[in-house]
Amino acid sequence: MADEVGLQGDVTISGELRPRTLHLKMLRKQWQIITLQVIATVALIGMYLEIVSTYVVGSIDHTMLFDTIEVLIGDQLPIGDWLTGEGRNGISRFFIPLVLGLALGGGMALLAFQTPAIQQRVKLGFIITLIVVLIGQLLLKWLTGMLFSLDLRLPNTNELSTLEWPLLMILSLMILFLYLLPVIMGVRGIWGLSRRSVAWAIGFTLLFLGIHAILAFPLINGQLGNYGNSVSVIGAQFSEPTIGIFGLMLVTTEQFSLIMIAILIMVFQESSYGVIRYLEYAYRLPESCKRDPEYVRQMDNVLNTHLKHTFGFLGLTGIATMVALGFHSVLLDIVKDSTGSQWAGQISESIELSLTYGLVISAAMFLSIMALLRFFVPWERIWGLIYARRAQEAVPQGKEIVDI
Amino acid sequence: MWTRKASFTFTGGIALILIGMMIANLQMMILGLSFIAFIVVNSWISGHGDVEVQRTLSADNLYKGDDLYVELLVTNRSNRNTQLLEVYDNIPHEMKLRSGLNQMRLNLRPGESARIRYVLRCPLRGHYSIGPVSLRSRNTFNLSVDEMLVDHHSDIVIFPQIKEVEEAFLRSRTAKMYTGATTLRIPGQGSEFYSLREYVPGDPFKNINWKAYARTGELMVNEKCRDAVTDLYLLLDSRDIARIGTVLKNPLEMGTVSAASLAAFFLKRRDSVALAIFDDTLSYLPPDTGDKQYFKILSALAGVSPKGAMPLQAVTNSLSGRFSRGSPVFIISSCEGDGTVPAAVRDLVGRGHEVTVLSPSSIDFERLVSRIPRMSYEVLKLERQNRLTTLAGSGAMVIDWMPDMDLSQALMQVRGY
Repeated sequence: MADEVGLQGDVTISGELRPRTLHLKMLRKQWQIITLQVIATVALIGMYLEIVSTYVVGSIDHTMLFDTIEVLIGDQLPIGDWLTGEGRNGISRFFIPLVLGLALGGGMALLAFQTPAIQQRVKLGFIITLIVVLIGQLLLKWLTGMLFSLDLRLPNTNELSTLEWPLLMILSLMILFLYLLPVIMGVRGIWGLSRRSVAWAIGFTLLFLGIHAILAFPLINGQLGNYGNSVSVIGAQFSEPTIGIFGLMLVTTEQFSLIMIAILIMVFQESSYGVIRYLEYAYRLPESCKRDPEYVRQMDNVLNTHLKHTFGFLGLTGIATMVALGFHSVLLDIVKDSTGSQWAGQISESIELSLTYGLVISAAMFLSIMALLRFFVPWERIWGLIYARRAQEAVPQGKEIVDI
Repeated sequence: MWTRKASFTFTGGIALILIGMMIANLQMMILGLSFIAFIVVNSWISGHGDVEVQRTLSADNLYKGDDLYVELLVTNRSNRNTQLLEVYDNIPHEMKLRSGLNQMRLNLRPGESARIRYVLRCPLRGHYSIGPVSLRSRNTFNLSVDEMLVDHHSDIVIFPQIKEVEEAFLRSRTAKMYTGATTLRIPGQGSEFYSLREYVPGDPFKNINWKAYARTGELMVNEKCRDAVTDLYLLLDSRDIARIGTVLKNPLEMGTVSAASLAAFFLKRRDSVALAIFDDTLSYLPPDTGDKQYFKILSALAGVSPKGAMPLQAVTNSLSGRFSRGSPVFIISSCEGDGTVPAAVRDLVGRGHEVTVLSPSSIDFERLVSRIPRMSYEVLKLERQNRLTTLAGSGAMVIDWMPDMDLSQALMQVRGY
């Protein structure tokens, strides 16, 4: 399908510089793509830390699980405490495992770009190492024991005990892997351009939130007895809001961290899928289009817009959610301040309005008003006019010649 | 219009809010609210600005097999960004992309324009139209899609391919091929004096002007004016049966190529050429000469499609009154499924026309698409041979044109009959 279609007009070639193309090798180093990937990674880490600090730390975190296992086996786990974060307090327990998860995810992404032969070798090497670690010591001890005693026998207890260390080590690593699954898969997805991995990361996070929500449900939580107590439950009732905009206090710190989790999930999803979508498009372009400056220019436009919209729209989404959550209190304040009647006073003191139903209904009302605004305020034209005015000021006098 | 992603996000948001309310889980409610807020905020920007498209073609008329260079200029005429816009130029399915791509994802700022350039190969003759231009604007996060068509068309005619026809193959009978009514002021074989020129080895001795030789001392030869062939009639069989074979190789395609090539050859010699195409109706282009006639013939041949089953005798009967006396007639037909061909040819020969039947072998075309048992093939081939021999016996020159045979090579067979 694709042959040469030379350079388009307004482009002259001189000097040693090579023109920019849409080849993956070049595109992957483009600043917009890297920025999107960095944003996705930061969002992933932020989301993970936010979830962990809200729901896991001090409740069901891995160090507590390791402690329980150590109590059960009556011995220390072979994996070092410095690695697992045992002995540290709060969120810092997750710092080293997080770095490990990032490194592992990055390694997996790097592996995804190697040739199939190298990938196969690495996987084979991993499996062999695993087998050697698992049963190497046992085999060595057992076979040498049989050799020295010239006896054909099953391995004895002493020899079998050599399996303990590798099994516990693998168990510890598996637990860590399970806890870090969203990070590992997320990083692999972002940098290894894998939709499936991104979906795994998001899916696992949502699954965790879902399971946690079920376990935190009072009816089920009560059935869990002592175990239920360790599940951190965030109630629907909150204290006075402390975070807001334009002097209006809208949400509490707890609510804000929950909003952050939701927004960061979306930032991670949109940025990582965006990168994959654009690179996929570029990959499918015929050779001649990849070299066409017009396609390169439009790809720049599209990527710049994505970056702007990532900050703009997702930021606005966060603000809109905050305002929606605090809208009931705003409404109550307005009613109280504006009318001053006895009825208004009664309404403002009505507890139903500040409970779940009141909160959700007022939030839905706010979002409906926001949705209707598009019919009254021509946002696109306003932005277009602002842009046109800016562009007019920056218009070059002569015709632009791109010198490559 | 919402995309599937937007619908899922919205439904998921509502579901999360409801479930969150049921189990008193604020995280679920907030997640649901965020999803809805995401949809709401993104709905502020929808559709795209006014986009103007302008298509430039490298040519309006092309020959079959040629490349067409297309440039589509997309300009944002509005005061807003176009958002993520997918521009797709609809091309006829008969044309193949040879280079470049007929689509682009772009985001044009106010007043900005982008050029999409691609090259099409035109493997089939015909009248085609490129366009309309499909526009699909997407939200950055793929939450809304709007599609529209810009009704911008560019018409193009793909003429049949012109094959090289060598003169020698067509004037083997007599030096003066056909009787002419007008004299052309160009050197060639004829009767009237044109000019004197120096003798070059190979010139016949009978053309030497001895008086001039005596006068100048150098051998000089007389050059004559070429006699023009007045009218040449091409009868093209475009009946339904002519579609036998593949899309690219069938009696009709070969017929159009030969008709175009013969017309080109004779018109170049300043002869007058007439064209009659018979399918379910009879289309007739009276004899004329020059580039205009050439264009008319090619245009007519470009639009030919197989249909109907008009017998050849009906054609010759209708046109016999229009044929100039003694003018040559080319019948381009597979001669299949028409029992009137021998009678029609006999009639034409009887009227003094020099008839040449150029017959693409439809059995061999049939063989390209379906497996014919050997015995059946042999029988069919024999039947065809008999039919052609009958035509040759009627006084026509018959050319059996095989699918893999070049036109010049086929015309060489004229000598064989």
